[in-house]
Amino acid sequence: MAGPGKATEKQPPVTDREPHHRHRLGLLLTAATAVVLAAGYLAAPREDAPLPPVARYALTTALPDWKLLEPVNEIVYGSRGFDTFGETFLLLAAVVSVIMLTRPREARRGYFGEETAGEREQRKYDPDQHPNAEERETRVADSREQGPDGPRSAARPDSSPDRERLGRHGPERAESLTVVARTAIRLAAPVLAVTGCYLVAWGYAPGGGFPGGAVLLGVLLLAYAGFGRRRIARVVRPAVLETAELAGALLIIGTELLGLLLEGSVSANWLPLAEPGTILSGGVVQLFSAGELIEVATGLSIVVFALLGVRRGWAPDEGDAEQDDAVDESDAAGDAEDGAAGGGGS
Amino acid sequence: MIVANYLTSAALFCMGLYTVLTRRNLIKMVMGLSLMEASTYLLFVSLAYRARSTAPVLLDPPAGQSPTQLAHGNTADPVLQNFCLTAIVIGVAVTGVFLAVVVRIAQHYRSLDADDVRQMRG
Repeated sequence: MAGPGKATEKQPPVTDREPHHRHRLGLLLTAATAVVLAAGYLAAPREDAPLPPVARYALTTALPDWKLLEPVNEIVYGSRGFDTFGETFLLLAAVVSVIMLTRPREARRGYFGEETAGEREQRKYDPDQHPNAEERETRVADSREQGPDGPRSAARPDSSPDRERLGRHGPERAESLTVVARTAIRLAAPVLAVTGCYLVAWGYAPGGGFPGGAVLLGVLLLAYAGFGRRRIARVVRPAVLETAELAGALLIIGTELLGLLLEGSVSANWLPLAEPGTILSGGVVQLFSAGELIEVATGLSIVVFALLGVRRGWAPDEGDAEQDDAVDESDAAGDAEDGAAGGGGS
Repeated sequence: MIVANYLTSAALFCMGLYTVLTRRNLIKMVMGLSLMEASTYLLFVSLAYRARSTAPVLLDPPAGQSPTQLAHGNTADPVLQNFCLTAIVIGVAVTGVFLAVVVRIAQHYRSLDADDVRQMRG
């Protein structure tokens, strides 16, 4: 905890008290829930119960109807495909929520040229108005106050909107790990990436888009940990990830809708089925699984990197206004503080 | 004794619930919610278990069995495994949303205490 001396800093530290509330009430409610759960679970089917009909149905239809040797994949992307379809869009909704919550103001994509345009307009509509003595004096005093290098050296580096650096709010730039770790990651990452894709391509064996996507996220995180943000910035940027995410969603929607149009029901198979034990066995199951791989890998990457790169809040605290102005070079320091704010309780 | 798994799952759920009810640190509340999520994974996988069964995979069946025989034989429940698989990914995404909210609250209120977040109290 900060002492009173530190309280005068621009940003007060995040407090990390550990209050407990309503111990007895919490204990009572938890005990009641425990009793209900235990009663329910003790009555649940045990290990010697027969399989429920839906499970037996899935097991027996996987091979004849879908030519799949993997009933779990057949359920996820085939007979219960509509359910997975809904869950995919639940995932997409979660990703969109994270983007909405974490994204700071949009980076400037180009110069607006307000100042230049304003001067031009002034000359056009009011050509006769020349600066008088008072204005000249004010300007001289102003530039003296701002220092010898012009406005950028002073406290307000962005006094002209035209001078603001493009895309200034880029996420934090971590440094890379040691050469040993980097070499290990260089060796492991391609193997892991191939494994992720293998889990999806060999759809007749356990695997599928969900674990495959999680493995691909692991590859990205390894690269991030090993080489730092800047090295993977070419891949991990909203334009790439979000486009891929929506392309995956489109692939899934197309797969499901074509089933409705061609075969009369959502998630019905409309592709020719190959022999069991081959890559193309399963028909639309494989297509859906590939879409899910894209969806999960990009969706989780967006979530993780959005949280890693989260910056200032929308509503500045007192002192943040100056900070906003004061910063370009001191941006990194501000980020460190923000990072501490985010992770203070963990 | 698969009942032990069921009861462990119930215990995990209750630990998560107790954390959410009594703690006011937002990160710990999110951890409690994650614990409750995790308890459902354990429950799904345990419910899918059958004594002396094989995995619900028809690839490489045990010696002397064809894939079709295996499909009619003693295997674990594939539907519940499917639930577990999708629940994990959704759980990660939802935890991401929670954490994003927590980070924003921490930035805005300079506090992780849920009791300090009173501005929208009606």
